[in-house]
Amino acid sequence: MADGSGGAQRLAMTGIAKRYGAVRAIRHADIEVAAGSVHALVGENGAGKSTLIKILSGAVTADSGAIAFDGEPVQITGTTDAIGLGIATVYQEPALFAELSVSENIFLGRELRNGPTIDWAAQHAKVVELLDLLGVPVRDATAPVGSLSIAEQQQVSIAKALAGEAKLLILDEPSAILTDSEIDVLFGVIRRLKEAGVAIIYISHRLDELFRIADEVTVMRDGATVGTFPMAGLSVREIAELMVGGILNEERPARTVPDAPPRLELRSLGLAGRFHDVDLAVRPGEIVGLYGLVGSGVAEIAHTVYGIEPATSGEIRVGGTAVRPTSPRHAQRLGIALLPADRKRQGMFAFQPISFNISIGHLGLLSRFAVWVDRARERRVATELIERLAVRTPSERQPIGALSGGNSQKVVLARQLVRRPDVLVLAEPTQGVDVGAKEEIHRIIDGLAAEGTAVLVVTSDLPEALRIADRLLVVRGGTTIAEFGRDASQVDVLAAAAGAGDEAVSA
Amino acid sequence: MTPPSTQPSTQPSTPPSKPSRLGRARGPRVLAPLVSGQEIVLLAVIGGLWLVLGLATPAFLTAGSLRPLLIEVAPIALIGVGMTLVIVAAGIDVSVGSQMMVCGVITARLLVEAHVALPLAVLVSVLVGAALGAVNGVLIAWGRVHAIIITFGTLNLFQFVGRQIFGSQTVNGIPATLDVFGRGEAGQVAGLPYSFLLTALIAGAVWWYLRQTPGGRHFYAIGGDALAAELAGIRVRRRVLLTYVVTGALVGLSAVFTIAKGTTTLDQSIGAGQELAVIAAVIIGGTSIMGGRGSVLGTVLGALLVQTVSSGVTQLGWPSNLSDLFVGVFVIIAVGTDLLRQRARRAVR
Repeated sequence: MADGSGGAQRLAMTGIAKRYGAVRAIRHADIEVAAGSVHALVGENGAGKSTLIKILSGAVTADSGAIAFDGEPVQITGTTDAIGLGIATVYQEPALFAELSVSENIFLGRELRNGPTIDWAAQHAKVVELLDLLGVPVRDATAPVGSLSIAEQQQVSIAKALAGEAKLLILDEPSAILTDSEIDVLFGVIRRLKEAGVAIIYISHRLDELFRIADEVTVMRDGATVGTFPMAGLSVREIAELMVGGILNEERPARTVPDAPPRLELRSLGLAGRFHDVDLAVRPGEIVGLYGLVGSGVAEIAHTVYGIEPATSGEIRVGGTAVRPTSPRHAQRLGIALLPADRKRQGMFAFQPISFNISIGHLGLLSRFAVWVDRARERRVATELIERLAVRTPSERQPIGALSGGNSQKVVLARQLVRRPDVLVLAEPTQGVDVGAKEEIHRIIDGLAAEGTAVLVVTSDLPEALRIADRLLVVRGGTTIAEFGRDASQVDVLAAAAGAGDEAVSA
Repeated sequence: MTPPSTQPSTQPSTPPSKPSRLGRARGPRVLAPLVSGQEIVLLAVIGGLWLVLGLATPAFLTAGSLRPLLIEVAPIALIGVGMTLVIVAAGIDVSVGSQMMVCGVITARLLVEAHVALPLAVLVSVLVGAALGAVNGVLIAWGRVHAIIITFGTLNLFQFVGRQIFGSQTVNGIPATLDVFGRGEAGQVAGLPYSFLLTALIAGAVWWYLRQTPGGRHFYAIGGDALAAELAGIRVRRRVLLTYVVTGALVGLSAVFTIAKGTTTLDQSIGAGQELAVIAAVIIGGTSIMGGRGSVLGTVLGALLVQTVSSGVTQLGWPSNLSDLFVGVFVIIAVGTDLLRQRARRAVR
């Protein structure tokens, strides 16, 4: 553990830049972290936080810039360099080995030995000591990690990071996967480490919690650090403003939504342990956005509407009738179509041609006497949709895996358009899609709404949520907490999602 | 915008402490149990089968019947020891049968035509096997192609090489000196054949290595998540290469056992289908086909079970097809058990 002096400069990164091919992940980053302090690092997705962390932990090497550790200039060209300096990283998803025991996980790669064999007793004793430091009582160091809860696994990850005498601990969104009481335990651990003189870089999207734990905050935007500020005297809203910066709110095409009874309604919808009391209504021709940070429960809401995980409370109404979709097939029959978030895993048959990817799920419709597939008709529908959605491909026989992200997403979207659905739920419709295709997909969604589909867009992409939604609902802590109209600003929405209003209570 | 949510103070502030696996106080147990549940089940099944077979055919539980069984088990169990390493590290090697063919024909021709001493021939066989394993290992670890593709390719490649070395159809006149590894009276201690004893010795050593040394435990980490293992400072490629080299070397020794238990004529069928028997033994022994979990003891027991079944089927005079059926059922049960176990584990989270 460190000297506990507190306040001495532990890390200074200056003029860091990194590009991946043509993409400039970091243009210019400066950050200084003091020993015995908690330093928050915030920024929107794609602002460059993860790249900066990867550089620091040795996963990638910076193109330019200097790093000083404890006042000495250092080179970090690999993970071993970082570990050697005492830089330990705990990633969001615990990178542990389910089949190995707690003590084995903690000492993996640096086992305590007794001759040629592992000194189990010594490892066990040290594990108990480490977990004591983290403020968690007597533990079973021989339990396989796979049998622990996510929160416990994270504690093991932190213990693992500390076993190597960490001087700088990087916590990458540690709270995203934890419940409130688990976060309290995590903060207790962080405070103890801080007292022991460890410098901590804490990444989080939940700005409200920073006021409870962080001393300073560095804000990143568009691949550059905006600046470092003491937490005292800031508000969630001010941090949100720094994150969003001077970005002008995009021009949004004015749309009028016909007045009609809601097509899709969620009433006090809940899924035990994930979200609760979600209320929303989407009218035909309306686009409603559901925006929330990772871990807010927003993704699970989409799954429930689509029948992947049936709700445990409340009800879903389609066209005024209460329904309870229990499978995607069921949801489809009820007239709910879904564009899944994880396109590669849930939405594509990569080796199959575009036409197959469009017609799958509609084969009854496209077949003769519901027996064999009418190939000519399949092809006709596919070509028509390819044209309508401007999918850039030489032919409908091209395998979808060969298309770019944006084009393959359009194909997956096309599948939902064979029959215009009454209700369309889109989860992260433009994730991993380039800017041009993004705009086209947004126009397609606009078009669908104009034809009368009730559209629910679930997204963690703030500009997208604002661009597309007629009304925008913000989800935090598993429930809808705020609603915005077309005139909402990025800062307002981000502040609501990140917990503005709560810092007054805790700070 | 809605007003900020109500004060946290209105809610109960102490969360109910839920029972935790970590928090549970335990005795001073520092190691996983010596024998896993699946291994105990296997032991019981084998014991039960022996008992039943002993009652059904009185000849079964005699030395004259059990010794051949152990001689038959040895080559499969021995390769299985290496294959356990490979599969624990999330790999697979379907080329071991062809490797055995190459090792076998080289050894046979050295003994028959070059009249080299037996120990030297054994050494050459082991080294040739290790070299073939190294070909697999290098391609898999550095080529970043899935092991089943690579070893399926080398299966055919090695088979071609083996056939080339065979030249004519068979190698005749295998010398009797090889009997020490086979059925000969010279090749046994207290009724146990040397080949089985050697296999047990090697299996014991590897079992200890996998269990007690950092290097051994690292195979489990690699099988669990190779990338995370790399980040933990484990030299994943070298370790993966090692699993295939060890397997190859053991195939080399196993080839000697296989020639020794055969007739004085070696034909090109040596090693054919061996990969499936070995992989079946490993899986029945409780090693997860997904990697990250398994034990050498289980593999030896798995091999013993497979051989007991096929020997039992023969002795009962049943059609030999039935032993394939039984092995198939065992494999499905073992894989099913593994899947259920993993699913239960995920549910715990």
